[in-house]
Amino acid sequence: MAALLRPARWLLQAGADPRLPLSLRLLAGGLSRPHAAPCLPAARAGPVAGGLLNQARLYAVAVEKKNYLQEEPASSHRRNASHFDWALTRLDNSVRRTGRIPKTLLQKVFDTTCHSGSPGGNQALLLLRSCGSLLPELQVSERTEFAHRIWDKLQKLGTVYDVSHYNALLKVYLQNEHKFSPTDFLAKMEEANIQPNRVTYQRLIAAYCNVGDIEGASKILGFMKTKDLPVTEAVFSALVTGHARAGDIENAENILTVMKDAGIEPGPDTYLALLNAYAEKGDIDRVKQTLEKVEKSDLYFMDRDLFQIIFSFSKAGYSQYVPEILEKITYERRYIPDAMNLILLLVTEKLEDTAFQILLACPVSREDSLSDFGSFFLRHCVTMNTPAEKLKDYCKKLKESQMHTSPLQFTLQSALLANKTDLAKALMKALKEEGFPVRTHYFWPLLAGHQKKKDVQGIVEVLKAMHEMGVSPDQETYVNYVFPSFDSARSVRAVLQENGCLPESNVFSQAELRSEAVNGNLAYILSFLESNTQPLSFASLRGSLSLGFRRSMDINLWSKITELLYKDGRYCQEPPGPTEAVGYFLYNLIDSMSDSEVQAKEERLRQYFHQLKEMNIKIPENIYRGIRNLLDSYHVPELIKDVNTLVEREKIDSRKTTQLPSSLLESTLEKLQAENQPIGDVLKQLILALCSEENMQKALELKAKYESDMVVGGYAALINLCCRHDNAEDALNLKQELDDLGAALEVAIDCHAKYKVLPRIHDILCKLIDKGETDLIQKAMNFVSQEQGEMTMLYDLFFAFLQTGNYKEAKKIIETPGIRARSTRLQWFCDRCISSNQVEILEKLVELTQKLFECDRDQLYYSLLKLYKINGDWQRADAVWNKMQEENIIPRAKTLRLLAEILRNSNQEVPFDVPELWYEGEKHSLNSSSPSRAESNIQKDLLNACQQKKSKDAYATFLKAQKQNIVLNSETYSSLIKLLLEKDSFLEAVQVKEFAETHIKGFTLNDAANSLLIITQVRRDYLKEALTTLKTALDLEQIPSRIAVTRLIQAYALKGDVESIQAIQKMVDGLEHSIGLSSMVFINNTALAQIKNNNIDVAIENIENMLTSENQTVEPQYFGLAYLFRKVIEEQLEPAVEKISIMAERLANQFAVYKPVTDLFLQLLDSGKVDDARALLQRCGAIAEQTSIFLVFCIRSSRRPGKASTLKSLLELIPELIEKEEAYTSVMKSYVLDKDAVSAKALYEYLTARNIKLNDLFLKRYAVLLKNAGEPVPFTEPPESFEFYAKQLKESRENPL
Amino acid sequence: MAASAVRGAVALRTSVSRPVAFVRKIPWTAASSELREHFAQFGHVRKCTVPFDKETGFHRGMGWIQFSSEEELQNALQQENHILDGVKVNIFLYNIMSFLCISLVGQKYGMTRTLGDL
Repeated sequence: MAALLRPARWLLQAGADPRLPLSLRLLAGGLSRPHAAPCLPAARAGPVAGGLLNQARLYAVAVEKKNYLQEEPASSHRRNASHFDWALTRLDNSVRRTGRIPKTLLQKVFDTTCHSGSPGGNQALLLLRSCGSLLPELQVSERTEFAHRIWDKLQKLGTVYDVSHYNALLKVYLQNEHKFSPTDFLAKMEEANIQPNRVTYQRLIAAYCNVGDIEGASKILGFMKTKDLPVTEAVFSALVTGHARAGDIENAENILTVMKDAGIEPGPDTYLALLNAYAEKGDIDRVKQTLEKVEKSDLYFMDRDLFQIIFSFSKAGYSQYVPEILEKITYERRYIPDAMNLILLLVTEKLEDTAFQILLACPVSREDSLSDFGSFFLRHCVTMNTPAEKLKDYCKKLKESQMHTSPLQFTLQSALLANKTDLAKALMKALKEEGFPVRTHYFWPLLAGHQKKKDVQGIVEVLKAMHEMGVSPDQETYVNYVFPSFDSARSVRAVLQENGCLPESNVFSQAELRSEAVNGNLAYILSFLESNTQPLSFASLRGSLSLGFRRSMDINLWSKITELLYKDGRYCQEPPGPTEAVGYFLYNLIDSMSDSEVQAKEERLRQYFHQLKEMNIKIPENIYRGIRNLLDSYHVPELIKDVNTLVEREKIDSRKTTQLPSSLLESTLEKLQAENQPIGDVLKQLILALCSEENMQKALELKAKYESDMVVGGYAALINLCCRHDNAEDALNLKQELDDLGAALEVAIDCHAKYKVLPRIHDILCKLIDKGETDLIQKAMNFVSQEQGEMTMLYDLFFAFLQTGNYKEAKKIIETPGIRARSTRLQWFCDRCISSNQVEILEKLVELTQKLFECDRDQLYYSLLKLYKINGDWQRADAVWNKMQEENIIPRAKTLRLLAEILRNSNQEVPFDVPELWYEGEKHSLNSSSPSRAESNIQKDLLNACQQKKSKDAYATFLKAQKQNIVLNSETYSSLIKLLLEKDSFLEAVQVKEFAETHIKGFTLNDAANSLLIITQVRRDYLKEALTTLKTALDLEQIPSRIAVTRLIQAYALKGDVESIQAIQKMVDGLEHSIGLSSMVFINNTALAQIKNNNIDVAIENIENMLTSENQTVEPQYFGLAYLFRKVIEEQLEPAVEKISIMAERLANQFAVYKPVTDLFLQLLDSGKVDDARALLQRCGAIAEQTSIFLVFCIRSSRRPGKASTLKSLLELIPELIEKEEAYTSVMKSYVLDKDAVSAKALYEYLTARNIKLNDLFLKRYAVLLKNAGEPVPFTEPPESFEFYAKQLKESRENPL
Repeated sequence: MAASAVRGAVALRTSVSRPVAFVRKIPWTAASSELREHFAQFGHVRKCTVPFDKETGFHRGMGWIQFSSEEELQNALQQENHILDGVKVNIFLYNIMSFLCISLVGQKYGMTRTLGDL
C-alpha cells in the first residue's frame, strides 16, 4: 500500500490545484499513451498511421522553412524535402493499406535516405518511429536492432538528434519490450546535452512499469514533480500496468480511485491497461465484468483496443478466451489494417492458430470472387516455417469460406520465393490431388535457387521430383536452369541417365542445340544437323537457328547451314517446300534483329546473301517484299538490292499481289486523262507501284509528265525512292518543287530522315492550326509521334495551341494522362515567350501546367518574373508571389531575389527576407545552446572559407582551432580535407585527416573526399596508399568515383603492375555499374601493363581471345582499345605498336571486327602519324565505313582545343565524312576553339555550295568566330545565345523517351 | 543508359506498328503457353512472350502477344474481362504510352531487351 501511495501522494501534492488544466490533459493523452502490453498491434501504441504521419508532415514543413536559411544550396533542401515526402508517402500508404511496414520497404527507405546525402532530422524521426509495432513480422529483438542501426548510421552521416528523436527511440523500446536502463538512457541524453521533456519522463515511467518496477517509476515521478511537470492519464495507466506486473493486482485497481481523487477520470486507456492486466492473468471473468462496466459508461472501446486484449490473452497462453473477445468486435472496415497487424504479430509469436481464428472472423466481402484475403497471413506463415500440414489445412478452410480463390497456389508461390523446397513439394502434391495442374515453370524458382548456389545435387533432386510428379522439363528448363551449372550438356545427359530421368522425347537434344546456339556455336549446330537422325521439324529449329546466327560472326557457317536446310531431304522438303521455309527463315532472322544490329552487321548480311545466291537458294517474291519492308524500316535500303537477287523470278506472276500492276494503272491513268477526269488518286497509286518495283526512272518520268496532279504522298514515295537509289539530286529537286504548307511539312519530315532534325516544326504547326488544316496536322503529329515519341508530339501540339491562342485545346493536351513535365521543352517555350514579350501566353503556360506531373513550378514562375522584370510590371510580380504561396511552392533563392529586385526597382516594399548570396542566414539558425560561441564561430569561419574555396584561410582557421584545442564536427573536417585535396595541398590534407581521426571517434572521409584523396595520392605516385584508401572506402560501403578508380588503374598499368590491377578488379567486383566502370578499363590497362612487362604476345593473345571467343563479355562494337593504342604510341613502344597493328588488321580481315583497327587508325591520326594512318587505311579499306566510330571521335575531339588539325587530317583521308552533321559541326567547333577563321570559312563555303542545311548553333558559332576575327558575317547572325541553340538542338534530337 | 533507351525506342518503333497486345498482371501460375491458349480464341497468335527472370525463376507478370492481324488484336482488346487461372489480367494496346510505362518498370528490371526481341 505504501508503494502505491507514494507516487499517488506526490500527485496529490503536485499542484496546488489538483485539477490539471483540461487542455494539458488532452494534449498529454494525444501525445502518448502507456501500454500495459507493450508489444501491441499498431493500435493504441501511438504511431498509428494518421497520428504519426500527420505530425511528421507538420514537422517537415517547419524544418524545410528553417533549412531555407541555412548554408547549403537550395537544391539540396529541395532534394531532401522531396525525398522526405517520398519516404513519407511510401510508409504511410503501406500502413494505411496493410497495417504494417514490411521490413524490405523500411530497409529501402533507410538505404535511400542514407544515399540522399545528409538526412534531415525529420527523415530520421520517420525511420525511427517505424521500428516498433509497425513491424509485426519481425521478432521484437530484430526491430530494436533495426532502430539502433538506423540511429547509429544516421548519426554518422551527420544527422543532429534532438529530444524528439530520443523520445521516438523510447517509444520503440516500449513497443518492443526492450530491456534497458532508464537511468543510462537519461545519462546518454545528458551527455548529448539534450534536455528530457515531459514525454521522455512519461515513457521512462512506462519502461519501469513494464517490468513491474514501481520503485523506479516513483523515482522518475519525483523528477517530474521537481520540474513541475503535469501528470497525465498516461502516467496513471502506466502505474496500473506497473502494479499488475509487480503481482499486485489490487493496487493496480486502486490506481483508478487515486486518479479520481486527483481529479482525473480514468479513460479507455486506463481501463485497457487494467483489462490487459487481467488478461495476462487469464482472468476472463474480470475482463468480462470490466468490459460490461465500460459498455455501460460513456466510454467506448475501439476494435483495436479489443485486439490488444486478445493479444494479451494469447501471449499469456489463454487463447481459449479469444472467441469471447472476438464476439465483441464490431469489425469496422477501418480496423482491418489493425487486425492484419495483430494476425501477423500472432504468427510471429508462433500463435498461428489464434491468428487464423481472427483471420476467419474478418468481414471481407465475399461477393467479388476475384479478390483474395489472407495472402499476407499465408506468406508470413511460410516465412515462420509453419508446418505444411497446417498450411494445407488453412488453405482448405480459406477456400471453403470463399475468402481466397487460390490459397494453395499462393502459398506455393510464397514457398518458392522463400526457396523452401520441401514445403513446395508438399504443396505441389496437394495441388495435384486437388486436380490443379502442376506446370513446368513451377520448378524454375527452385532450380534458380540451386543454380545460384551452384548446387548440382539440388538441381538433380528437383529434376527427380519433377519426374516423380510426372512433369517433364522443357527446352527452357534445361537451357536456362540446368545447363549453366554443368560443364556441358553431355554431362547433364549422363547424370540424368544415371538417375533415370532422361526424357524419351527429343526435347533434350533440342535444348542442347539451343544452348549451343545461345553461345553462337554454329559449328556444333551444323554437325548436329548433318548427323541428326531424329525427326525434327524446321519450325522447332527456327528460333534456335536465328539466335545462333545472331551470336556468330562466321558467315560461311550461316550459309552452309542454310544450304543444308534448303537442300537436305530431312528438313524442309515437305510442302510448302524449301523456298518458302528458308525465305521465311530469312524474314524471321532479320525480324528478330533490331535496326541497330542490322545496321552494324550490314556487311556480313550482304556477304551472306551473296553466298546464298551462289548456292542457288531462292526465296518467294512475297516474302522478299516483307524483308524489303523490314530493311526499309531499319534504314538499310542498300541491302534490299542484295536480297532482291534471291527472288524466284519465274514464279512472280503466279503469286497474288495485292497491288495492281503498274501497267494496268498506267492504262487507267491514260484513259482517265483522255476523259478529262481527275487523275490524282490513280497517279499516286501508280507512283507508289513504280516505287515498290524500284523503277525510279519511270516514276520520275511520270512525275514530270503529270506534275500538276502530283500529291504530297506521291512526292514522299518518290523522294524515298531517289534516296534509296543514291539519287540525291532528284530528291532535292523534288523537295524544292513543293512550296505550300503541306510541302513545308514534307520537307521538314524529309529533313528529319536525312539530318535527324525537325526544323521549324513549331512554326509549321502554328500555321497549320491557323489555317485549320486538320489532315495535315494529323499527319505531322503522326510523324512526330512515330519519330520522336508521343510525348514530343504532345508538347509540340501544346505549344502550337498556346501560341495560336487556342487555350482550351492546349489545356486538353496538357491534361493527357501520363504526360509529365519536360523541363527543357518548357524552358524553351518560356524563353521564346520572354524574347518575344508574350505575357499572356506565358501566363497561360504557367497556369495550365499547375497540375502537370513533376513540373518545376518555381522555375516557371521564375521565367514569368523575368518577363515582368523586363516590362517593369511589379503588380503582376507581386501577384506571382501570392500565387506561389497559394500553390504551396517553396521558392528558390534566385526567385526570391529576382522578385525583390523587381519590387525594389519600382520603389516597393519587399515583404520577405531576401536570401543573401552568402550564407549570412546561418546566424539565425545556429543553435545557441550547443557548442560554445567560440567554437561555433570558428566552425562557421572555416566552413565559410571552404565554401569560398579559400584553402589557405580555411587551413589557417583549422590551425587556430587546433591551438585552442577546439574540436570541430566531422562534416567540417571533411569539407576542409576535400578543399585541400582539390587545391593539391596534400600534406595539409593528410594532417587534417590525422587530427580528425585522432579526435573524433570513427571519423571517416565521405565518398567524394576519399575519391579525391585517391586521385591526389596517384598524382604523387603514392600508389600503395591510394590502394589502401580505395580499400577503406569500399569497406565503408562507399562508391568511389569512376575517375579515382580509373586513375589508379592507369597508374598501375604504366608501372606494369598486372597484379595490382587484378586486385582492384576483384575489389570493385559487382560495383562496376555503380561506379560506372567499363570492363574495357581493365582490359586496356591489363594489356598495357603486360606490354610494359614485355609480355606483348600475352596481351595480344588475350585481347584476340576476348574478341573471337564465343563467350564475349563485351560486344565487339564497344570493344574500345583507343586508350591502349594511344599509350603505346605515346610511350613509343615500337615493337608493341607493330604487333598491335597486325592484331587489329587480323581482327578486321578475318573476323570482321572493325572497332580495334578503326581506333588504331584514329589514334595514329591523333598522334600526328598521318602517313601511318593512311597506310593502314590502304591496307584495310573497311575502316572507311566505320562512320559511327568516326562521328563519336569527332564529337569528343571537338571538346578539347588543339584538335582541329587531327579532324582536318581525318576529313582528308575520309572525305565523305564531311557531309555528316556531327562531323561538320564538330569540325566547326574545333576551328572556333582554335580561332581558325580561314579554315572555318573554307568549310562554310564548301557546305553551302553543297546545299547542306546548317543548323543555328553552327551558324552562331561561325558568326561569332568571324566577328571576333573582325570579318563580316555573310548571313544574319542567329539572335539567341549559344545555350539556347544548343538546347534547341538537343531538344529536337531527344529520343522519344 | 542513353544508348539502351535509344535502342529500346528503336525497337519500339518497329514493333509499335504490329498488332501487339501488352498483358499485365499475369498470375505467376500461368506462362506463355497458358497465355497463348487463352488468346487463341481471338485469332492466330503469331508470337507470345512472357519473359522470366532467370535469377528468380519467376516471370514479372507481363507479356506480349502478337496477332496475325489488327482485327484479331481488336477482338481481344474488345473483350472486357480476360481471366487466366482465375485471375483477371489487364490487356492493353501496345503503343507508345504503354511503352513509356513499361520502360519505367523495365529499367528497373533490365527489360529493354525483351522489347527488342519482340
